[in-house]
Amino acid sequence: MSAPAVEPLSPLVPALEAERAVVWPARTTRTLGNGLQVVLVESHTIPKFNGQLLFRSGNAAAGGEAPGLADITSTVARTGTARRSSRQIEEDLRRMGADLGTGAGSDTSHISFSGLTEFSADLLALAAELAQQASFPAEEFERERRQWIEGLKIERATPGFLAGERLRRALFGEHPYAVVSPTEAEAQAYAREQLERFYRTHYSPAGALLVLVGDFAAAPMLEQVEKTFGGWRAPSPAARPHPAPLRPRGRRVHVVHMPGTVQTQILLGNHAITRQHPDWFRLSLANSLFGGAFSSRLVMNIREQKGYTYSPRSTVNPLREHGWFSVSAAVRNDVVAATLTEVFYELDRMRSVPVGEDELADARNYMTGVFSLGLATQDGLTGQLVNVYLNDLPQDYLETYRAKIRALTAQDVLAAAQRHFDSGNAQIVVAGDRAQIEAQAALFGEVTVYDAHGAVL
Amino acid sequence: MPELKIPIEHKTLENGLRVVVSPHHAAPVVTVGVYYNIGFRLEPQGRSGFAHLFEHMMFQGSEHAGKMVHIRLVNSSGGVLNGSTRYDVTNYFEAVPSNALARMLWLEADRMRALKVDDENLRNQRDVVKEEVRVNVLNQPYGGFPWLDLPPVANCNWANAHNFYGDFADLDAASLADVQAFFKTYYAPNNAVLLMLGDVKPAEGFALAQRYFGDIPPNPALPRLDASEPPQTEERRATVEEKFGALPGIAIGYHAPARRTADWHALAMVDQALHGGRAGRIYRRLVLEKRIAVDTEGGIHYPMGDVFDYNGPMLMTTRLLHKPEFTAQQTLMEFDAAVREVQEKSLGEAELEQVKVKFRSDYYSTLEAGMGGYLPRFGLMHYLACFTLFDGDPGLVNTILNGFHEVTPAQAQAAAQKYLVAGNRAVVLRVPVAKGAAA
Repeated sequence: MSAPAVEPLSPLVPALEAERAVVWPARTTRTLGNGLQVVLVESHTIPKFNGQLLFRSGNAAAGGEAPGLADITSTVARTGTARRSSRQIEEDLRRMGADLGTGAGSDTSHISFSGLTEFSADLLALAAELAQQASFPAEEFERERRQWIEGLKIERATPGFLAGERLRRALFGEHPYAVVSPTEAEAQAYAREQLERFYRTHYSPAGALLVLVGDFAAAPMLEQVEKTFGGWRAPSPAARPHPAPLRPRGRRVHVVHMPGTVQTQILLGNHAITRQHPDWFRLSLANSLFGGAFSSRLVMNIREQKGYTYSPRSTVNPLREHGWFSVSAAVRNDVVAATLTEVFYELDRMRSVPVGEDELADARNYMTGVFSLGLATQDGLTGQLVNVYLNDLPQDYLETYRAKIRALTAQDVLAAAQRHFDSGNAQIVVAGDRAQIEAQAALFGEVTVYDAHGAVL
Repeated sequence: MPELKIPIEHKTLENGLRVVVSPHHAAPVVTVGVYYNIGFRLEPQGRSGFAHLFEHMMFQGSEHAGKMVHIRLVNSSGGVLNGSTRYDVTNYFEAVPSNALARMLWLEADRMRALKVDDENLRNQRDVVKEEVRVNVLNQPYGGFPWLDLPPVANCNWANAHNFYGDFADLDAASLADVQAFFKTYYAPNNAVLLMLGDVKPAEGFALAQRYFGDIPPNPALPRLDASEPPQTEERRATVEEKFGALPGIAIGYHAPARRTADWHALAMVDQALHGGRAGRIYRRLVLEKRIAVDTEGGIHYPMGDVFDYNGPMLMTTRLLHKPEFTAQQTLMEFDAAVREVQEKSLGEAELEQVKVKFRSDYYSTLEAGMGGYLPRFGLMHYLACFTLFDGDPGLVNTILNGFHEVTPAQAQAAAQKYLVAGNRAVVLRVPVAKGAAA
C-alpha cells in the first residue's frame, strides 16, 4: 500500500466559522478606438499601482524558424526610444519609484510595470513610449545579445531547463511550442532589423490588453489612459497558422545526459487542454488532488513518505493553442525507477479509483480558498484579471469560479484524469548522469539519449 | 514623505508570548505567523544546518496533529503555508480565508506546546533536506553563490561563518534527542511572536491568542549566545570551484554597520545607489558601460533578506558574473572604481532623492505581499515580527523609513569611506572548473 494512512482528526480541531463574503473587484473596461482593450480595477492596499501591457504575439508568432525572437525583441525594446537613452529610462524609473520589466512567452509579449501612484501619468507615458517608439540602438542590441547568449549557456547547464526543453520537443514536434530557446548560433545570427520588424509587426494596440490595478480612481485613470495610448496607431498583426503538434503515442524515455550530476531531474508529461476546454475546471481539481498542492497525493507519497525529493509537483500548462500536463521531481540518482513507479501508480489510481468524498471536499475547499487569497493583493488581482481577459474567459469568471469548483464531483475528477492524465502516452524526461540513471529509466520505455545541446548520443 | 499609518495593536501574554494584530478588512482573508527568535546563525556547533532541518520537523507532527495533519488542515481550510529559516529567525505562516483563523491558531499552538516526532520522521526529512540542498546548491550552476560561499571567508565567529544549509555529515549526525532539546530550548512562547494580519479584529485576535497559547509554559532559561564578529583589518580572499557554469563569478562582501545607527541609514542609501537594479552604479558601470560583467546584483543581507530583517553582523554583498575575456583583477578594478566614485564625490542630490523614492516604493510593495500575490501582507508580518523580536517595537513599521529619508550626501559619502574599504571586505572568486563546462 503506497498511500500513507491518514490519521483521524483530533476532536479539538476548531471548526471553520461561517464564510465571510468576498468583495468582487469592480472592473472598468473600455476598448479604445485603436483596438487596445483596457481593464482598470481600484485596489487601495498600498499607494502604488501595477500595469501589464500584453501583446498576443510571442515566440510562437515568429514560427519555428526564429526561436526566441520575441524574447530578445522585448529585452532590447527597453534600452532606448526615440526620446530617451537607456540610462535615461532607468533613471526615470528610479525617480518614479518604479519597476518595469519586458519579456515574452510562447503566446505573448509584455511590458509590465509598477510604481508609486503619485507618478502614474509619467510611468504610463514611459510604458507607452516603449511600446511605440523603441529605437533598438545597435550598441545596446549587441550588448544585450551577448548577455543573452551567456544566459543561454547557463540554461544549458541547468537540469530543470534541459528537462523542460526536451519535454516540449517530445510533445510538440514541428509546432513552434516545441522550441523554448534558440541555440547559441541562432542567437548569434539575429540581426537588429529582425527585432525591429517583429516589434513593428506585433507591438500593436489592435488586440492588445492593458490591465491596471491599484491605488487610483478609475474614471480619471481611464482618461489618462486614453490620453496616453489613444493616439497610437498600428495595423493588426496577422496570425499565422502553425503545423499540428506531434502527438507521441506510447511511453518513451528521453535521457538528457549531464555528466557528474548528483541528482536527477524527472519531468514527464502528455498533451492536455487549453483554458477554453470544457474540462478545464475538472482537470484543475484533479491536478490539485494529484500533485498541485502541498497536501496532494504525489507530495505525500514521494516526499513525505519516501523522502525521494524536496519539491515534487504536477502542473496543467495551458498555452493558447494547446496545453499539456506535467509532473516534475528532482530526486537522488538511485531512486529514479522507484520514483517513476510511484508517479505512475498515483496517476493510474487517479484514473481508476474515484476519489473519496472527504478528500474531494478538502481539495475543493483548497481551490476556492486560494482563489480568494489571490484577490487580496494588487499583484494577485493583476494576475487574475490578466488570466480572464487575455484568455477571453467569460465576464463572470471570477464571480462564478468558486461555485463551479464546488459543483464538481468524484466522477468529474475521474473522467478528467482518464482523459488527461494520459499515463500510457507519457513522455518521460530524465536529466542527469546517464551512467547512473539510463538503466533505471529504460524500465519505463524505449530510450533515446541526448546531450545538453539536443544531439542524439 | 507621506506618513504611514498602518494600524497595529500588540500585547504580551503572561508566558511571554508577544502578540501583534494588524487589522485590514478589505478582503476576507487572514495571514497568521509565528516567528521564533532563533535562526541558523545560533544553531549548535557540530550541527550545521540543524535550524533548517528542525524547521522541517515542525511539519512532522505535534501533540494533537500528527504527521501530515498540519499541512492537510491548512490546505483543506483553503489556505497555503510554509516556513523558512533565516539568519536570526525561523518562521511558520499560513494565509487562509478568515473563517479559519481559530483553526490556524490552534495548529500553531499545538506545535509550540509539544512536538511529536519519531526517528522515521527525522530520517524522512533528512532525505528531503538533502534533495533540497542538491536542487538548490550542489546540482545547479552557481548554486550557493554567494550566500554559502562568502560567510566562511568574511567571518571568524562560527555563528556567522559556518555552512547554514548544513554539511551532510552534520545532518546525518543529528538525532531525535537533538530535535527535542532544540525545541525545548528555543521554541518557547517567551522566545516568539504571534502575528495576525488582515480580516481580524484586535480584541478577537488577542482573545484567541490567550485561549490557545496562554497556558504554554515559557522557558525561564533562554540562552544568550554571542554572535559578535571581531573587527576585520585586512582583506580576505578565497576561491570556490564552479562545476557547471562557464562564466567566472566574483562576490564581494563588506561588513555593514550595526542596525538602526546613523551609519546604517547612510550605507543603506549608498547600497541602493550601487545595487538598485539597472540604474544602480555597479550594474551601469560593469554591465552597461564597460561591458565586463553580464549581470550584477547585491545589497545588504543579499540574497537572503534585506536591510531590516536580521539581528547581528551582516554583509553588504555584490554578486557578479563576468565575461571570460576579462580577468578577475580587471573586473575588480572596475568594481572598485564604481565604489571610489561615491567615496570621492558622494551621490548627486538628484540621485540620492531618486534612491529614497525607490527605497520607499520597494518598502510598500514588500509590506503588501513580499512572497507573491497569494500571501497577503506577508512582508508586513515579516517586518512586524522582526521589529518586535529584535527591537521590541512593532510600531517601527510606520516610522523606520524616516531615518533613511534624512540621509545627506555628506553622510552617504562618509559611510562609503568608512565601510567600503578593502580591510573590511571579503572577496570570493567562483572559478569554472573547465572552459565550456556547460557542454
